[in-house]
Parts: sequence; structure tokens; C-alpha cells
Amino acid sequence: MDKHGYSSPIAEEFAQEMVRRNKVDRIVAMAPVGILLFLVALLSIVADGFFTGYNIQTILGQLSIPLVMSMGLTFVILLAGTDLSGEGLGGFVGSIVILMVLNTKTDLDMGLWAILIAVAAGLVVGIISGVIHVYGKMPSFIVTYAMSSIMAGFAVLSYRGQPAMSKYEFFITLSRGRFLGIPSLTWIALAIFAISYVLQERTRFGEYVFAIGDNERVAKNTGININRIKILVFAWSGLCIGVAGVLGAIRIGRGEVVIGKDTVFPAITAVVVGGTPLTGGRGGVVHSLVGALIVTIIYNGLILLGVSTYIQAAIQGVIIITAVALSVKRGRKVVTK
Amino acid sequence: MDTHPVLFSAKGIVKQYPGTTALNEVELEVRPGEVVGLVGENGAGKSTLLKLIMGIEQPTSGAMTMRGDPYTPKTPIEANGMGVGMVFQEQSLIQNLTVGQNIFFGLEKPYLKYGFVDKRRMYEDARRILAEIGIKRIKPERRIRDLDFATRQMVEIAKVFSVVTRRSASGNLILLDEPTSVLNDDEVKNLFANMRRMTERGNSVIFVSHRLDEVLEISNRIYVFKDGRNAALLDEADADEAILYEKMVGKTASGEYYKVDRQAVPGDEVLLEATDLGMRGFFGGVNLKVRRGEVVGICGSIGSGKEDLCAVVCGDESYSSGKLVVNGKVRRFSSPRAALKAGVLSIPKERREEGIIAEASIHENIAMSNYKAFKRFGLVSTALEREHAKRHVAELSIKTPGITQSVGFLSGGNAQKVVFARILSSDADVLVLNHPTRGVDVGAKEEIYSLIRDITASGKGMILLGDTLDECIGLASRIIVMKDGLVTHELDAPAGAKPEQLEIVKYMV
Repeated sequence: MDKHGYSSPIAEEFAQEMVRRNKVDRIVAMAPVGILLFLVALLSIVADGFFTGYNIQTILGQLSIPLVMSMGLTFVILLAGTDLSGEGLGGFVGSIVILMVLNTKTDLDMGLWAILIAVAAGLVVGIISGVIHVYGKMPSFIVTYAMSSIMAGFAVLSYRGQPAMSKYEFFITLSRGRFLGIPSLTWIALAIFAISYVLQERTRFGEYVFAIGDNERVAKNTGININRIKILVFAWSGLCIGVAGVLGAIRIGRGEVVIGKDTVFPAITAVVVGGTPLTGGRGGVVHSLVGALIVTIIYNGLILLGVSTYIQAAIQGVIIITAVALSVKRGRKVVTK
Repeated sequence: MDTHPVLFSAKGIVKQYPGTTALNEVELEVRPGEVVGLVGENGAGKSTLLKLIMGIEQPTSGAMTMRGDPYTPKTPIEANGMGVGMVFQEQSLIQNLTVGQNIFFGLEKPYLKYGFVDKRRMYEDARRILAEIGIKRIKPERRIRDLDFATRQMVEIAKVFSVVTRRSASGNLILLDEPTSVLNDDEVKNLFANMRRMTERGNSVIFVSHRLDEVLEISNRIYVFKDGRNAALLDEADADEAILYEKMVGKTASGEYYKVDRQAVPGDEVLLEATDLGMRGFFGGVNLKVRRGEVVGICGSIGSGKEDLCAVVCGDESYSSGKLVVNGKVRRFSSPRAALKAGVLSIPKERREEGIIAEASIHENIAMSNYKAFKRFGLVSTALEREHAKRHVAELSIKTPGITQSVGFLSGGNAQKVVFARILSSDADVLVLNHPTRGVDVGAKEEIYSLIRDITASGKGMILLGDTLDECIGLASRIIVMKDGLVTHELDAPAGAKPEQLEIVKYMV
């Protein structure tokens, strides 16, 4: 018998292997932070004007929408689902929020209530997607993709083809405002991040999301209402898309369906690059913050380097495939003993 | 305080699955404050009984009682509420949550403050629970994924203990399914100390393990199961390893049953040879040869490494040391497909999931492993395929309305015969049969044994993981025994001089 007292050398090998694998896992979990620092260092050297106060403010501004979207998506992806409704739903919420404040098209002028109602619309659509996904037993990607298409239609219908322009003072203040050098919209995004963090770390909801993503059977056997949690996750994602839609509308000052365009892909990339695999159960919102920073910095850097937008899109595609490929657990079995 | 003389009882428990009876009139009784050991071969029904006690499945007939009252749990939650908890063999902790969160998983309500979980208070209680079962070094704030296996197991025990003792501090029942397989000597000692502490307070434990020395050390009484029945009930004082072996193996079926008279005498040509083969952490140092006409039976308990060895030979896993030679060439298979190309065909254990395409027809299933034999003008010819299938259906007397029937609708035995037709249609030389008669009725079993004799007579070699030890001995011409990832014994089993089960089982456990 050996000095560790295992019943056989094979059992001891197994124990050693687990220790080694845990170590590797921990290093891999830190990789996104390393990539972020590397990118900052690299772009500071190769891209003129990257590491300047002005550009850092620009980056923080560009961060706001992907960050907000990725906060909702993180929870969905932790469950091993997806939410693709952002394009249409974000466009819809952005469109109606402008129609409800002081604008060139309607007389509603509801002020802050408009924001509340618009975000609530996002939440309700999220709940509908969740209910169809859970009780209709349909994959979330197809439900939310269809939902995106439906809401894009409603968005154009809401302003009947001619988008409304915002005349709301508060929106203009927000879009230009800064506090401590950080754009106001980014503060809102950071507030959403803070709420997400509390949801993840301090509530039963957050705990159960991890549990369902890791091992649904255990969660079920413990008596957790899995369906309810899943629907709540899509509700939260809908709410985040709603906030992102409002932020988009504030930025461009116009209520148009294009607000949602090209927002989902960067957000999913942010979540996966940050370290939440598409298979769920691991990662979380802090990872996604790092991921959103990576995605935004790459986008910003490519613009500074004068790379064509078509190539930028291609690079995004390569990034997400690489990130997913790295997150897939391949090869020999891990924990089956 | 519960003072009923019997804490838990099961009487006349029958559990039937389609095609098999897993438990047949089983009895079990647990008194307050005792450890009951439960031993038996793989498939003896131990795990099935635990599932019934936990409410994961329901018995077909029979009655259970808890503290004298009828006990019919429908879910594990219900069982927990009655003071019954189980530490599962495959662990049921959530990797990305902390130790404390796992201990109170699903029971966070008392720790809610304005809707938020008061983690500090929860961790304090977790620390107290861990201390109660004698674990002080685990911090409740640590995430499960950062812990080693033994520590995870301790957390799991703490969790189960805290769940069942919510009702009352005593009179609870805790089920431990193979808890020691990942522990080292000190950790086993610690586990046993914890078990004793639990029983001192009037709780009881059912301890399932294939390590007989440990069962003997900790149990007050030991139940032996055999083929889904009670084989023996022994007091700890009356039992030793030899007696337990004897009760576990039971009676041996006749040579006629296994068609021993038709057992092929192995040729000289070696089809497959493993030299010092190993897969880090799963098995190591395995040497074996498969000759023409030979059936090499591998015996061992769950976790002995025999399944992993099989997986390596079939191309499901890769080996980390040694050498695997097939038909004279060193091989390292990247997939079962690569293995088949090299001449190794495997018949997996989970037939419905891995061995057949349930939706596809009989003729398609039969042709699957050797499409190139059915090609005409570069395309697969359905006519050739069907003709071939018809011949096999007749030869193997597969009961089916027609060859276009989906295999999913056939009975277990007939579906397995389709699998064998596929083997016969392939030109692989080495077959790996993983539990070829699982879920097959007795009549079909004999036909399958007959087929195995036909296949070996035709010169193919075979590695066999038998459904029972008896079957493995009956069919094999050479036997390799594994335990804890190592080969512990090997011997020839020629027709007319078959070894006794007892001779082999003592190297297994």
C-alpha cells in the first residue's frame, strides 16, 4: 500500500488527476482577464489614440448597450438556453419609448413613465417567450428568434414607417451627460450590472439558476420549481433588453427598429468570451462584464486601426467560434467515478 | 423521541421493469441506532431497493413502513420530510455553489432577509453542521468545484444529515451507496466515526459497499442480495468475508445452459493484444490476449476499471500508457469507427441508446456496420440490404412482422438478435460484448449464448463483460479478474474445467 492510504495506486492516480484538473480549471477561469489586459496593452502600442482619456470615455460609452444586454443573457446562458429576441424586442422598446415621451409624432408626453412602460413591455415579452419555451417544450433559440421577428414587425407598426424624433430634454441631457468622466448611460449600465450581481450572489433565484444549469435533476429532486425559475430568467432577460432598447433610443434620439440591430451577437459573444459556456452552470455576470469589455475594446480598436466594417463582422464571428471551441469540454471523461 | 423497535421495514417488495424483475419478494428491516450492511453482486438489486426507499421509483408490489407507519414516498423530497436521506454514488452537489449553499440548497427560506439570502447566518449554521459531524477544516464559503472528491463526499453527507435531522434529531434513516470508493484509509476512518456518531443518537444507516472488509467493520447486521432476492441475513459476529462470498454468488447454472460443449478451443493466432495498458486514474498494467475463437471474460465490480478497459478497446476512450496491438498493428483508436475499421466491433451495454437505431428498420440496422458490402454502383442498395436481412431474420428466428419493422418496436431479446445480425454481417475479427444479455428474457438468452458459440466457431475473438459472474464464467474460455483498476487474477476456463464462482469473487471484492 502507498503512503496516501488509497486502496490502489489507480485510485491515487485518480485523486491526483482531479487535483491537476481543478488547477487547470482555475487557470482557465482567469484567462479572460489576461486576454483583456493583453488587448489593452497591445492596442495601446499599435493603435494611435487608444490609450487616451477621450478614447477611454468612448469605449465606456460603447460598452453600455452590450453590457446591459449581456446581463440578461448571462442568466439565460447559465441555464444553457439562448435569448435571440434582442434585435426585434430592443428595436420595439426603443421605438415605443420615443413615441411616449415628448416627440415629433405623438402628444403622449408621459415623461419618466414612458421609460417604465417601455421596459415593462420588454419584461412582458420576456415572460411570454419563457412561457412558450417552458410549457411548449420548444428550444429557447427558436422561440426567441421568432419573438424577435414578431417584435420587429410591431416596432415598425408602432411608428407606421416614419420614426419619431425625441424632443425630450431629459434624454438629451442623459445622452451627453457625464459623471466622474463616465457617460451617464454607462452609469445606468453599471447599475444594471450591480443589480445582476446582487441577483446572482444574494438571492435564491441566482443560486437556483446555477443549480439548474449544472444539474437539473438534482434541482428537481430538491423540490425547486424549475419552470418558474426559467420563466423568471427570460423575464429578466426581457427587462435587460428593454433597458438596452431605451438606452439605444436615448443615444440616437430617434425611435426606430434599427436600435436593436447588431446588439445580440456582441452580447452573446461577451457572455461566452467572459467564461460562461453555452452549456451553462458556470461563469456569471462578473465574467460577462470582462467579456463585454473585451468585445467593446476589440470593436473600438478595429475602428481605430481603420479596419473595414465587413472585416470587423468577420472577426467577431471568428472570436465567438474560438471562444465556444475553448469552452467545450472535450476528450476524456472527467468525473464519472 | 421515536422508540418503535423497528425503524424501517420492507416486506415482500417486488420491482418489475419491462422484461426483468429487479427485486423479487425482498425483505429488509432496520432497527433504531444500527448500521445495516447491504452486499451483493452487480445487478443483485441493491441500488433498486435504495431508489424505492428514497421515492425515486415506486415498488410494483410490497409494503414499506417507517417507525411502524406505512411509508410510500413518491419523491425524494417526501422521503426527506419523513427523515430519510441518501448519499448518492454519483454526487448530487452543485459545483458552482459554495459548501454552505449546497448544504441548505432548497432550504434557504429561514435565511431570507428582505428577500435576500443572509449568507453570513447561513454559513454560521453550515459551520455548525459540519462541526457536528466532525469536519472542521472545510470552509462553508468555498465552492464545491474547488474541493477534492473526498471533501465533496463529506459535504454531501453533511447535507443529507442536516436535511433528515430537520424533522427530529433521532430516528432518521441515512442511505450510503458505495461511499468509500473515492476515499483513502484515513477518510474512511473518519466516515465511520461519523456514522457511529449518527447511530449513537438513534439514527440508522443502510451501508452499501462492495468492500466486504469495510461492511464487516461497520455493520451490525448484513443483508446479502442475490439476483433480486434475499440470499442471507447475518449478524456481524457470525459473518466473515468467506461466508459473504459464498452467499453472494449463489448457485451455478448448468454447463448445458451456456452451451459449454460447443465452446471453441482457442487458436494460436493472436487477434488483439494489450501490453501494460493503462488509462490514468481508471486502470493500469493490463495485459491480455484475444486469440481466434477465444472468449476473454472480464470480471470485476463497478469501479474495477473493466468498463473503462472496454471503452479503450472500443475506441470510446484513449489509453495513457502501454500498448494496444490489433491484427499485428499498434493502434490507438480515436473513435469507435476507427476501431471498427481496424477490426474491433463493440456491442454497447445500453442497447436502446447505443446499440440500435430504434427508429430505423431491421434491415438498416443489420447493414449499419458494413455498408460497403451492400453497395451497387457506388450507392447503398436497399434490395441487397433487404435480401441479406431476410436471411438473418430467418436464421436467428427474430420474431417480427417484417424486415421493414422499426427495431424500437421489438422485444429486448429480438432487438438484441438484430444487434447480433449486425455483428455477423460485419467483417470485424474482435468483438467487445458489454452485457449482451441485459434485459433479455431467459429463452432469448439461450439463443444468444448459442450465437456466441457460432461466432467464436467462425474464428472471431471476443472480450465479454458478462451480465452476471456465472454467465461470464460459463461463456468465457479465459477469465481476467479486475479490482480497483488492476488485474488481480487470471485463469483459463476450458470446457469441462470451469472455475467456481467463489474462486473468482474473492479477487473481485
